[in-house]
Amino acid sequence: MNINAQNNNGLCRLKIEDEMTISTAAGLKKALLDNLAGCRELEIDLSHVNEMDTAGFQVLYLARREADISGKAFRIVSPGPKILSVLQLYNMKGFFGI
Amino acid sequence: MARTIMIIDDSASIRMVVSIALKKAGYEVIEAVDGGDALEKIKGRKINLIICDVNMPNMDGISFLKMIKQDPDYKFTPVIMLTTESQEAKKQEGRAAGAKAWVVKPFKPEQMLAAVEKLVLP
Amino acid sequence: METDPVLQTFIIESTEKVQEMESALLQLETSPDDEDTVNALFRAAHTIKGSAGVVGIDNIEKFTHTVENVLEKVRLGEIRVSEDLIGLLLRCCDHIGHLLKSLNAGKDPEENPELQTEGQAMAGELSAYLAVEGQGVSPEPDKETTEQGGTPEALTWRISLRFGRDVLRDGMDPISFISYLSKLGEITGLTTLTDAVPPAREMDPESCYLGFEIDFRSDAGRQAIEDVFEFVREDCEINITPLPATAPPRKTAGAEAGKQAQTREPGAKGAGTIRVDTDKLDQLINMVGELVIANANINQQARRIGDNSLLESAFALSRLVEDIRDRAMRVRMVPIGETFNRFRRTVRDFSRSTGKDIRLLISGSETELDKGVIEKIGDPLMHLIRNSADHGIEERDVRLALNKPENGVIHLNAYQETGSIVIEISDDGSGLNREKIVKKAVERGIISPGKELSEREINNLIFEPGFSTAQKVTNVSGRGVGMDVVKRNIEALRGSVEVESREGRGTTVRIRLPLTMAIIDGFMVKAGASFYIIPLDMLDECLEMSDTDKQLSFKRNYFSLRGKVLPFLRLRDIFNEPDGRNRREHMVVIRYAGGKTGLVVDELHGEVQVVIKSLGRVYRDVNGISGATILGDGTVALILDVPGLVRNLEKAAGALSYP
Repeated sequence: MNINAQNNNGLCRLKIEDEMTISTAAGLKKALLDNLAGCRELEIDLSHVNEMDTAGFQVLYLARREADISGKAFRIVSPGPKILSVLQLYNMKGFFGI
Repeated sequence: MARTIMIIDDSASIRMVVSIALKKAGYEVIEAVDGGDALEKIKGRKINLIICDVNMPNMDGISFLKMIKQDPDYKFTPVIMLTTESQEAKKQEGRAAGAKAWVVKPFKPEQMLAAVEKLVLP
Repeated sequence: METDPVLQTFIIESTEKVQEMESALLQLETSPDDEDTVNALFRAAHTIKGSAGVVGIDNIEKFTHTVENVLEKVRLGEIRVSEDLIGLLLRCCDHIGHLLKSLNAGKDPEENPELQTEGQAMAGELSAYLAVEGQGVSPEPDKETTEQGGTPEALTWRISLRFGRDVLRDGMDPISFISYLSKLGEITGLTTLTDAVPPAREMDPESCYLGFEIDFRSDAGRQAIEDVFEFVREDCEINITPLPATAPPRKTAGAEAGKQAQTREPGAKGAGTIRVDTDKLDQLINMVGELVIANANINQQARRIGDNSLLESAFALSRLVEDIRDRAMRVRMVPIGETFNRFRRTVRDFSRSTGKDIRLLISGSETELDKGVIEKIGDPLMHLIRNSADHGIEERDVRLALNKPENGVIHLNAYQETGSIVIEISDDGSGLNREKIVKKAVERGIISPGKELSEREINNLIFEPGFSTAQKVTNVSGRGVGMDVVKRNIEALRGSVEVESREGRGTTVRIRLPLTMAIIDGFMVKAGASFYIIPLDMLDECLEMSDTDKQLSFKRNYFSLRGKVLPFLRLRDIFNEPDGRNRREHMVVIRYAGGKTGLVVDELHGEVQVVIKSLGRVYRDVNGISGATILGDGTVALILDVPGLVRNLEKAAGALSYP
């Protein structure tokens, strides 16, 4: 997994690459929460994620929930088919505003 | 990207039956004859599921399972144990070592495929 | 048959195994207690049996199974290795060898009576060993009989799943199980339960915290559904219950149907419902939109022709079309309850992390909103609730000192009000401190010092970009971030937001949203060369302006409506149409957010039903326009953004307050 963060005027753009799975979940959790803490608005580009399992989903859910709690904007952009199919299966597209 | 499944069994015909059924369903299959062979072949490869006979010469299924569970690259890989009805004790040993799924021999190819589909991400 | 590679492999492999068995047996003759040899013998037989079963060679499987049973007992020390036994087992090896040869020759073993009698004789001898020990051969479980007989009917099941913490670590993923489940039938409803996901710090990313409530329709029996989860059965809570097969009788549609359908029993999901792709629904609604336009065209033509029977038919058609429109729109409506419930968790977590004791009261859960609106309203609501919890509700000791109940209350409420849905977020906190707001606004250059503002205008300053009244910056909410964003988001939904507050008593934020997103009833006017649509529910009255009216109002910048001050705008001015002051003009009075505003237009064209088309790039930034529509005859009309216009007027008018 590879995470690219760009912080610009409170808007943090994260680009996650490869996979969001149980193998990478710990690193993913830290990266998402750390970046969230340092911004007003978090935008996560998932176009290059080619795998998401339930561990990955849970971390994404957690980040979104934390963003809500701290009143920060949270956006997922260009989720690939793998991400969409998980969110579809879990009936959670609406939760993420997709 | 096709999912890759490793089948470890000392029986060539079982390997072949499983391999044919899984390949037909779109999976990539790696065959190994025992635990030692599997450890050799698994190195550096992404494996989505391991099917492993409990009873094998050289390194048996349980020992292989214990080694896999130590390896950060494979510790979360699902494992299906191949057992027979007479091996309830082995099955429990396998469960304790982290293999929660099992298929009882003899099985039909479609039974194996069903078990695989319950464990491998779509 | 002979060229089947699986069969060939099986024959070669099993022949080898038979040889292994033979040499192991010969070794046992000299050292009958050697455990390794016994194990090797057992394993060889076991492999032959297993392979035969998988490849489907029943006679070899059956026979070797009996051999294996005997060897298992030898291994466990229940049967002693004797010369007789070794002799029998060697003959068994021969028999397996014969069976393999026959198989290799492509002969059907059933047609070889010699082999059959040989096998039966040996099986008899083997079972004597098993019987002597007082235990029969465990019967082979017949896979076919586990299937229940008959063709079961398709039933709807409620499957409740609570996955164990360790399932992910064990390599098992709910995604795979649920995907597999969907191969056995149709998942008609699924709710992912996330309430067990702990606060961020305690959340272990490798643990599983999810639960699922699944409505599942399938003709597979209960056993088949249970089997889907067999690998997680011991680590999860699984509950499978049948749901009633038929839906409860629906209320008959009557005159009240419109109002009735806006509410429905919360949680009445599953039975009698189907899941429909939203794309399909949107297509349908789009088509209904086109139908409405086509119908408007027919009405126009019918009026032009003036034929009575044609007019009657057109009228009947219109009624049907309107009905279809209403029903189609209602399909997209979902109750807001689920969205509201999401905030219970937020408030609870907030209470925990700040030590403020806050209760969330929810009412109006059954109020329905367009699905598109529901999806987008979550964010603004979250901001507002957070704001109430953080800035509104006082610390516990402050509340006690003020003689207020120790625990604060945030109330989420939703209801329907003429043509719109209202969502209220109220708290019983400190209320807005207007002095502070004004001071801050001046400091930040939002207003000029000394400017007189109404209460409402002061309250609404909190929606200005970059405004914050928080005395201290907390981790939870940061610096009042987002009230401007909240407002923007709500306006993007063609809604509006206002705030009401009483110092020391609390604050209520009221969000107004349109009932539907796609079609509106409008009132068409013309100014200059363009047509404009005013949302009908905002229309109050229309007046013709006399010359005196005109002269007076342009002098004073307001219109006298039965002695009351009415601020107004001229559409020609706003949209840079050439001046038409010497023409006949009309004053359209609109009612919005508790106030009245006038719009000066040239012509009144009456009520129309329009389908909102999204604006192209060209119009996106045009102030005062929220959308466009195409009329029956192909003309484009612009839909007025009344909240935006009123806001502009307020800005322009400065201190002028509403009558």
